[in-house]
This record gives sequence, C-alpha cells and structure tokens, in this order.
Amino acid sequence: MPKRILRVNMNNLEAKFEDFPADFAALGGRALTSTIVEKEVDPLCHPLGANNKLVIAPGLVTGTLAPSSGRLSVGCKSPLTGGIKEANAGTPFSQQLAKMRIAAIILEGKHKGSEYYTLKVTMDKAEFTSADKWVGKGLYDTYQSLFKEYGDKVGICGVGIAAELLGASSGICFNDPEGLPSRYAGRGGVGAVMASKGLKFIVVDDTGAPGVEILNEEAFKEGAQKLRKALTTHDVTKPGGALNSYGTSVLVNIINEAGGLPQRNFSAGQDDRSEKVSGEVKAEIIKERGGKRPHACNPGCIIQCSEVWCKPGGKDPVGVLEYESVWALGPNCGIYDLDDVGELNRACNDLGLDTIEAGGMMGVAMEGGLANFGDGKKALKLLDEVKNKTPLGRILANGTAFTAQAMGVTRVPVVKGQSLPAYDPRAIKGIGVTYATTPQGADHTAGYAIATEIMGVGGTADPMDTSKADLSRNLQVATAAIDATGYCLFIAFAVLDIPEGLEGVVDTLNGVLGANLTVADVPGYGQSIIDVERKFNKAAGFTEKDDRLPEFFLKEKLAPHNTVFDVTDEELDRVWGP
Amino acid sequence: MTILVKIFGDLRKKIKDVESDGALPLNLHMNTENIEYIKDILQKLSIEENETSHIFVNGVYAGFNKKVKDGDRVGFFSKNQALLYKWYFKREEDD
Repeated sequence: MPKRILRVNMNNLEAKFEDFPADFAALGGRALTSTIVEKEVDPLCHPLGANNKLVIAPGLVTGTLAPSSGRLSVGCKSPLTGGIKEANAGTPFSQQLAKMRIAAIILEGKHKGSEYYTLKVTMDKAEFTSADKWVGKGLYDTYQSLFKEYGDKVGICGVGIAAELLGASSGICFNDPEGLPSRYAGRGGVGAVMASKGLKFIVVDDTGAPGVEILNEEAFKEGAQKLRKALTTHDVTKPGGALNSYGTSVLVNIINEAGGLPQRNFSAGQDDRSEKVSGEVKAEIIKERGGKRPHACNPGCIIQCSEVWCKPGGKDPVGVLEYESVWALGPNCGIYDLDDVGELNRACNDLGLDTIEAGGMMGVAMEGGLANFGDGKKALKLLDEVKNKTPLGRILANGTAFTAQAMGVTRVPVVKGQSLPAYDPRAIKGIGVTYATTPQGADHTAGYAIATEIMGVGGTADPMDTSKADLSRNLQVATAAIDATGYCLFIAFAVLDIPEGLEGVVDTLNGVLGANLTVADVPGYGQSIIDVERKFNKAAGFTEKDDRLPEFFLKEKLAPHNTVFDVTDEELDRVWGP
Repeated sequence: MTILVKIFGDLRKKIKDVESDGALPLNLHMNTENIEYIKDILQKLSIEENETSHIFVNGVYAGFNKKVKDGDRVGFFSKNQALLYKWYFKREEDD
C-alpha cells in the first residue's frame, strides 16, 4: 500500500483518501506541511477563514524503529503571526499516522454551523461524529472520556476552550503514552485554526496498519544503529545524561547562571529564586511524589527527557513541565513555586493554551496591572477568565501582543506577534538573531543557538559576540531538515558532535526512501524548506522590517551583564540576504 | 573577603564538612585565602576537574585557570548536567 493523504473538507463534512503525489516522495514533517501550505493556501487569506488549511504530517522516519523519531508537524497560516507556521510535537499519534501510511491530513474549508465534530480515522475510512458534548470542557477529563469511548489504543489530538474562543495562543493537544493531554503542537495559534473549521478532535485507530514501508532495510538498520550509538554515548542525550536525569529544566540553573533567564517580563536576566523551580529540585520532588522521571513522550525514544509531574501521592498527573513552560509560567511571572507552576501548566493543558505564549501573556498582564508579579493564585484566576469565556478571557487567549495592547503595555516581548521563549537575547545574542529572522516568529527551536553559545555543542561561539548571522542560518537550515525527518530536535546535540550519528540519520532516510542521499545533501534540503516558508511570508506581506526584535531589547540594559541587543540590522539581514 | 560558590546537581554530595539544609544548589561563602584560580576552589572542595561540566564566573562561561577575586560569584555544575560533548566552547581563562 502506497502512502496517502487524507483530505478533510469541513464545508460538507467529507473526508477522502488521495494518492500521495510522486513529487512529494522526499517530503515529510515540516517539509511537507510547509510545501502544502505554500502551494494550497492564499498567503493573504484570513487565518481563521475557510481558505486557510491545517496540515498534520508525521516525519519521514516516524513510525519506524529509528530511535527518538516520533515527531509530527502541524502547519497552516498562523493567526498569531500572519505568516506560515510549523508547530511540532512528540506523541504516539504521529507514529500511528505513519504506520497507517497517512503522510498528511489536510483540513480545509469551514463548517457553517456552530457545531463541533470529531473525526475518527481508521485504515479505510474517516467518519464524523458530533463533539458538542465536549464543548466548554477541560481536556484532562475529556481525554479520559474519549479513551473510554474509543478504546485505550487510539491516538487523539484535539483543541480546548482557548481554541473555541479562536484564541491566537491556542495549540493542538496530542496524547502522551499514558493518555494525558500534555504533548502540544503549541505555537502560533494552530488550535484556533482547527477550531475555526468546526473540528474539535481527531481520533486515529491504527488497527490493521501495515507499518512504514522501508525500501532499503539494510541501509535503514545500519543507520538506526549508528544513531542509537551516538545518542547513547553523547553526554546530553545518553541515559543518565543531562536531559534524561533532569529533563529540559536542567537549563533553569544553567541559563540563570549565564545571566540570560528572563525575569518578570524580561526585566532582568538572573534571579536566584529561580533555583526553586530548577530541574534538580523538580526531579527530586517527582521522585518523592511518585511521578515519573525519566519518561518517553513517544515509544522508542532513547533520550527520554519527558516526565510526569503530579501532586503529592502521585495525584492529579499533569504531564511534563518543560523548561520553557516552567520559565514562562514561573520566573517570567516572578513565580518561584513549582506547585504554582505545575497548576498553571495544568490549566494551560486543560484549556489548550500554548504555555510559552500564555506565560508571555501573563508577564505583560502583570506588568499591565492585572496581577502582581509573583502572585500564582491570581494568575490561575486570570486563566479562569479564559475558561469562563469572559471578554477578558478572550483578550488573554489571544496572547502576549494582543494583551499588551489591551493593557497599554509597551514592553512587548514578541517577534512577528509571537512571544519570545526562555533565553534573553541581550545576554545570548545568537538566539536573538534566530528569534528575529526565523519565518516562524520568535522560536528558540528554529535555530537553537543556545546549544553553541552556552552548551558548546557543534562549534564555538561567544554569547556576547554580535556576528551571528552564519551561526543562526546554519542552525535554522539544519533544524528545518531535522523537522522534516520526524526525529526529535534533541538528536542534534549528538549528531552535530558525532559524525557517525549524522550519517546514521541520512542512512535511515535512505532506507525509508530508497534514496542515495549523503550528509552533504542535508543543508540544501533544509534551505529548500526555509525558502518555501519565506516565499509564503513575503507574499503575505512580510519584509526585512519584520525580522527585528522589539525596541526595548535595543534600549534597555539587562542585568547582570548590563547589555542591550546590539546585533546590527545589516547582520540580521545577512542571515537570508545576498 | 569571600567568593560565593554555588554547587549544582550531584556535586553537592561531594561536600562533606559543610552544614547544609539540603536545599539546591548548595551556596558556600568561601574565604579567598589561598584562592587565586577556579582550580584552587575545586582543590579546596576536593572536587576533581572531570567531575564538573559547566563553570560560570559572574555569568561568564569559564575554565579552570580563570582568576577569581573577592566578591565573585562562581557556579559549578556536575558532570551529569553536561550539555556538551567536547570542550568546544571557548572558556574565559586568564592564561
């Protein structure tokens, strides 16, 4: 059975399998979502109208035995940025789609009524049922009920109350292996796009799935072996290594020591109270409480950076508290209590909010006087406004820039309308270049200069040096390629340092595709994805003026280094310029 | 005349003769006597260089030969907090 596309027309509630175009054969994940969006979506369309499309695509090797390869991409025109969007998640759902040989689900049109639907996808059909009984309900209870209704072997993706409000900070939620609604393609308002069409959930049942076709088994096996060896020996990715022991939150103390952990809406780069929400503290509490650490976000992951945070006695499991989420809902709001952060993260997951955007929003809301910095309980009450669908809740659900404008706040940490993640670009310049120039809006994963500037992976760079165009471009190109494969971005730590690891990645791709790619082909492949995304954004009206950081990063010094973001506009334009 | 030394992760377990409330990280206010370089601090604490990963002095990534002085803030991260494979990063050292 060849790969297929499932095209879902929400105008008439019709879902049909189509042949996968031959010229798309080498496209998966982000390469596929961005190509389809560029080809099929009018760049000037309203992101929440009938002419936008939402594309969900597993990576090229997702669903195979290749290690740490269970990622998928979600693409559309973003209601948050107004440009092209790719949001990425690790979840069993992606592996199920890939095993069913569904290369992409394309969701198009817009249901005219006010009803919401669930789409159930099996090997040979896709059927709609009403999802109205779940409207206004939190996703934790809803996912439990959905698994009860459809069986515990299915995969689920869905949107929450924030998306019902068409909030530009709503994500699409995928289940983790335990069925918790905790794995998010979070960024850019992709949840609102799905909800705008009238679709609330997609349930996949992979019974009878043939699995991923591998055209060259030998190349695939050899590649998987090389990659497995790299991942199990590299200090960042190996069992007992940094990510496995402490999760992504190992970064809290490291970035705080580096003076780049934004505090209280980016007003300082260091505060020792952040140590109370560090990865070390969190790992100890999880152990005491009977949560899970380490944990795989999808079966077959070697790195296992995930976890399950819970209340004492193992009660009320939340899922993972990622570094970005802990920072956004913690230090960025002056909140240094892990239980407060955990409850805020739970509320975001329950409502279907992107935690980074929600934390950025909360930071400007606090600066605007809606709560005091540090008041975790009041922050939770503000999220109740979203839950209760009040006018204030509608403002907050639209994210950082929208809330700042409503509250008269002028220090607004966004690029292309999207909130900055957990590294202050005044202390770590290269990540600032990525924030400014990625087609995605401020996004640390788009070109993770932190790896080079603080962690020393794959080269050298001084965080204060302002010549970062080449570093950021190379990382953005490499990232785009990895996002197409379905491999977790964290494999980059190992494969940038261990040449055999990168060879292994290419070998597995050759195995699946029956191709003869080499490592030298990777940059061109990544660049082609960025080119497609930039073409879309240009047609949507973006210019080099959109590749800039907000004014206050250029004027306001950040303690403790007392520096501003002083990378020149010429250097920023050099990333994609001639 | 002291240096603030912050001991992160499992390195805390290496510090035996200091009263600690178990909080993370362990904060030590070390007298600067006989301390000129980062490596001198490690020696005083009986921590081997290969048991550390990241070292920061006043927010700057540093190496074992970085000079330290009164009022400095030094952070030592344990080996299993390493987010690097090789010592690629240019560390600020004084020699």
